[in-house]
Parts: sequence; C-alpha cells; structure tokens
Amino acid sequence: MSNTPTMYVERFSVFQRFIHLLIIISFLTLAVTGMALKFAMESWAALIADWSGGFAVLGALHRFCAIITFFYFFLTMILLYTKWKESGKGLFSFIFDPEGLVPNLTDLKEMIGTVKWFFGGARPYYGRWIYWEKFDFMAVFWGIGVIGSSGLALWFPVQFSKFFPGYWLNIATIIHSDEALLAAGFIFTIHFYNTHLRPEKFPLDPVIFVGSITLAELKHERPREYDQLVASGELEKVVTRRGPTPWLQRMATVFGIFVVTTGSFLVVSIIITMLRYIQGGH
Amino acid sequence: MSHKDALLSRAGTFLCILLATLILGTGSAFALTTNDECLGCHGDKAMTTEKDGETISLYIDEETFTQTVHAKHGDRGCTDNSCISCHVEAAVEGDEHPYPMSPVDCESCHDKIGATYEKSAHGIAKAKGDKFAPKCSDCHSKHDILKPSDPRSTTYPLTIPFTCGRCHQEGSVMTTTHELNKHNITQNYSMSVHGKGLFESGLIVTAVCSSCHTAHDVQKASVPTSSVNRDNIIHTCKQCHVGIVDKFNKSVHSPLVTKTDKKLPVCVDCHTDHSIAKVHAKDFRLIIAKQCGNCHEHYSETYLETYHGRASMLLGGERTAKCSDCHGSHDIMPAQDPSSTINTANIVKTCSTCHPNANLSFTTYLTHATHNDKDKYPYLFYTFWAMTGLLVGTFSFFGLHTILWVPRSLIERMKAMTRGH
Repeated sequence: MSNTPTMYVERFSVFQRFIHLLIIISFLTLAVTGMALKFAMESWAALIADWSGGFAVLGALHRFCAIITFFYFFLTMILLYTKWKESGKGLFSFIFDPEGLVPNLTDLKEMIGTVKWFFGGARPYYGRWIYWEKFDFMAVFWGIGVIGSSGLALWFPVQFSKFFPGYWLNIATIIHSDEALLAAGFIFTIHFYNTHLRPEKFPLDPVIFVGSITLAELKHERPREYDQLVASGELEKVVTRRGPTPWLQRMATVFGIFVVTTGSFLVVSIIITMLRYIQGGH
Repeated sequence: MSHKDALLSRAGTFLCILLATLILGTGSAFALTTNDECLGCHGDKAMTTEKDGETISLYIDEETFTQTVHAKHGDRGCTDNSCISCHVEAAVEGDEHPYPMSPVDCESCHDKIGATYEKSAHGIAKAKGDKFAPKCSDCHSKHDILKPSDPRSTTYPLTIPFTCGRCHQEGSVMTTTHELNKHNITQNYSMSVHGKGLFESGLIVTAVCSSCHTAHDVQKASVPTSSVNRDNIIHTCKQCHVGIVDKFNKSVHSPLVTKTDKKLPVCVDCHTDHSIAKVHAKDFRLIIAKQCGNCHEHYSETYLETYHGRASMLLGGERTAKCSDCHGSHDIMPAQDPSSTINTANIVKTCSTCHPNANLSFTTYLTHATHNDKDKYPYLFYTFWAMTGLLVGTFSFFGLHTILWVPRSLIERMKAMTRGH
C-alpha cells in the first residue's frame, strides 16, 4: 500500500449525469410501454398492461416520456453549444475535433487494434471517447431523429395526414417500431455489455452516476487522454482528492443494477418471442 | 230430539255399520271411481312403495292437486278432473288397483304435443331406451302441474332454466353420460345478456331455454327442422328482435341480398349462443375480431397487425376500434355500396367517430395492413425488409464484436485481480 491518497478525475459533469438519468428513465419507460404494444399478443406484454392499468396508461406514459426525450435532446444541444463556445473553435473544427464524439479515421484504426487485442495483441492507445462509446452517442442522435419524427406522426395522425398521405402512417409504424426494437435491443445488450456487464466492469460501471473515476483507472483505460492531460498541464487542474461519497456510490449501484436488470428482462422476453416467431415461420 | 228420533238414529247407525261390515267382508259391491276413494289410501302420508331399492312416496296432497291445471280445467277437455282419467287402469271394481300400472299416457289428451315430442331429441332418446330422456312429468311434474303463467309452475319463465338445468347443468349425470356438443350451457346462459335479463333484471320476457329451443320440439342444431338450426335461427331470434332482422335482411350478409355458395353468417356466428353478451360489453367487443375472422380471416389477421388490433389485445383493449365500429353490424354493406360506412362518401364521418377532424387523406391509413404482402403493400414490404436489414446488420456486427471481447475481458479481469485491484 502506497501512502499517496487515491486521486480522482471528473469524467461526467453533474449536468451530463442529469441528462443521462433523464435518458435512462425515459428510454426504459418508452421501451417497456412500446414493446408491450408491439408484442401485445405475448403473455409478458399482457402482464405489463395489467400491472400498469391498461394500454391507455401505457400510451400516456409513452407520450410523457417522448416529451422527456425531446427535452433531453434540447438539453444536449445546449450542452454542445456551451462546449463549442468554451472551446473557442470554429463550428466545423468543433464538430470534427479529433478527440470529439464524431467518429473518425483513428476510430477505424482503434477498432482494428481492438480486434487484434481480443486475440492477444496490445491494448489500443484509447483516448477520451472509444469508438463504441461514440457509436452509442451518435446512435441516440440518429434514433431520436428517426423514432422521434415517426413517433410524432403517430401521435398526431390527423394533423400529419393533412400534409402527407394517410398510408404513410403505416410506414411510420414499421419504422418507429423496428427502429425502437433496434434501439432497445442495442442498449439492453450491446451497450449494457460494453459498459457494465463485461467481466472487467461487472456488474456495473457507476461512473455515469457518480461522475468521477480514479486517476489509476484513467491511466489504465484511457492512456491517450491521460498523456494529453499530462502534456497540456491540465491534469494538475482536474485531479482531485474528492471522490464520490459512499452514499452516492451505493445509490448508483442499486439504481444501476435495477435498470440493467429491468432492461435485461425486457430484452430476454423479446429475444425469446423473436426466436419463437422465426421458428414458427413468421 | 224426541225419544223416537233418537231410537231411529241409533238404528240407522247400526244399519250402516252392518252394511259396511258386509261390503268389506265380501268386497264385491265397491269400486274405485272418485278421487275421494283414491285418497282413502293415497291421502295417507305414510303410504310408500319400493322401486329400484328406493322408497317412493305415494302420498297425494289433495290441497295442492285441486289447484293444478287438471283439477281446475279437467272438465273442459277430453276428461274430467278425476284421478282415473289419467290413471285409467286404476278404475277397477274393488278396493285395490293392479300394481304396477302402466305409466300415464298424456298423449291420450295432448295428442298434438305428444306427436311433436316423439319427433324431438328428447322423444327419440326415450324411444331408444335412454333412461335419462325426459318424460312429460320430468319437466311438468306429476300432480303439481300448473299453467306456465303460474309463478309456481316448473315451466314458468323464471323457473325454466332450473327445470332444464336439472339435466343440462354441467356435471349432472346426464352431461357426464352423454356426448354433448356444448358445455357449461347453464353457466354461460346465466352470464349472458338473456340470463342476466332473467336473473338480474327479473324479466319474464327475456329469452329462456324454450324461447329458442321450443318447449316440445327440442332438436339438435344439426337437424334441419330445429329452431336453432343455421337455416332457422334468424327466424327464431326474430320472434323478439324483429327490427334487427329487418335491417339484417337488407345487408350483405343476408341470403336475400347475396347469392353465394359460401356460408353466410347467422345471428349466432357473431353473437354466440348461450354466452351471448351485450354488444357494448367488454367481453363481446373483445371477441368481435375473432368472430369476423372466422370467415374474414385475412382481414382479421392483418387488423391485428395494426395499432387498433394490437391495442385491443391488452387490458382496456375493448376501447379501440373493432370491425363493427367501422363496418357497421346488422346493416353492413360492401365498400362499393354508397350506403356503406366505409364508402368514400361516408368514411371520413366513420373515422371521425374516434378521430375528430379526420380528413380524406387520413382515411387512406391501411387498417388491415401487413408487410408480408409484397404485391398489395410494396411500400410496407420494402420498409420492413430495409429495417430488418439494418437490425440484422447492426446486431451481427456488434454481436460478433461482443463475443470476441468476452475472453479478452475475462483475462483482463483476472489480471486486475492479481494486481490487487
């Protein structure tokens, strides 16, 4: 045991954590209420409807969480705008910042490096955002665009059909429900595994709730970011002895595991249902 | 009273006793002809007999019998109200009739009803020796027969379901020893709109068993002359639902309008029989798509793929649009007909029932759409497969990525543990 105290670095600000909390609550509710309708003929969907008080309640919850979704989308835009202004960069160079969230050539190289790492190569020289994290972020943008617009059409079908043919609502239904299946399936399997359930992090990586990671973790997991912070002299400014309180860590664990479990139950139900359909020739 | 009178009276009594002793002694001058004579024995509550090991009472309650239809009106028909008009073999000289006697033949007076009964399912079963087949008395009772309008009668409307239920209630010996097409009929009836009309609302004008099945001409539905046969059921329901049948006869489902070899629906195909529910009741609304789907399978299945159909499967689903909400019910017409609720002339109004301010473009929403029909719905077909491709592609890529990651991640975890983290 060294005598130096554990040092922490903040990875997510309170505002960013708040946004993610909104995403969790709304996304989980949207997924549960929406899938209950998509798979209404399944017994687990009937259970969800029974527990909630009927399909009208599911619909109301779904629309309420749609509003939360548009709200956090708006908050994210404010966040990005603030970050842009802070950076002092031009819009283009801010968006395509090599260390930003938009995927670039380095990510492709890292992806290849990652596969090599899987087979025994060296761990890639990861920076602040790894490509699967960038994919998660961009997927939410894409998802809100696709699911949000088709969802609005289905929410206001009469108004929608004043501008577009009514049968486009049928197309919107397929897009909305299948894109949602993609989103829910992706978050509840790939995102959950990449972030929480993989053996290195199992059962939960609480950073999105508690905000900070230890300096040792940063150095090991994101060596490029660490080296950049050292080189720029920023590290001295961001490092702190104040880590997350035990209370916050416990809350994060309980809430996080509850959410991961709920999502996993839903996705297992969906997978079993889909497998039955494929077997049944549907 | 004078002494002379008293003497005569005493002599009279003596003579009477003497005479009675003589008659009883020889038994030749007595005959069973009046009800009083029958009641001489059958008025005794203790009078019983043994039959198949069971003790059966042979007591007749004169008070009750005098109120029955036969006691009151027996003199109007072919016989009088005497015991022997039914129990003809009992009319013998002497004080004891032969035993056992043949069963009472109601047909000797009620010949028309008897002929009908003989051709009914009950009559045929009885002729075949089915010991559970009901005789007249099983429904009408023996010495307590009252008019159907008498609340105490076994054939009073409020009582009929119980009378029939003695045999037809699920679990009775009859239902367990016979092969029957329908089950739980009395339970289903009790829960039906007709049964509730009877048991809850106390209506004697509601349909009871005999209203549909008739009283004496009870036939299986498969028999062409049965009142509940497909070809006759509309007529049977029309006894009460005249206005509905008039409407129905003008609709596409009526054989008067549509000439086809295919089976056209009759009342029970949509409404069911014993469990018939109020059409606005949840139970009925939830089976509409299934009932219509028995013939219109493709439309029912594809309806279930759309929002209305999906939501209808969940709790509270009775509220979403069902077949009849858009197409109408008894007055249903094909879309080409200008009177049809889904004809272009009327469809905006039809959709507006639930979707205020609906417009013509809105009505082009496909309410029976499926993405499985490439020729009919190419847009839906290609959208579905494009989306499926996107899903399969994304999950394949990241699925593989994850699978390859698992062993590496386990190694990293073990490394971290040995490092002491």
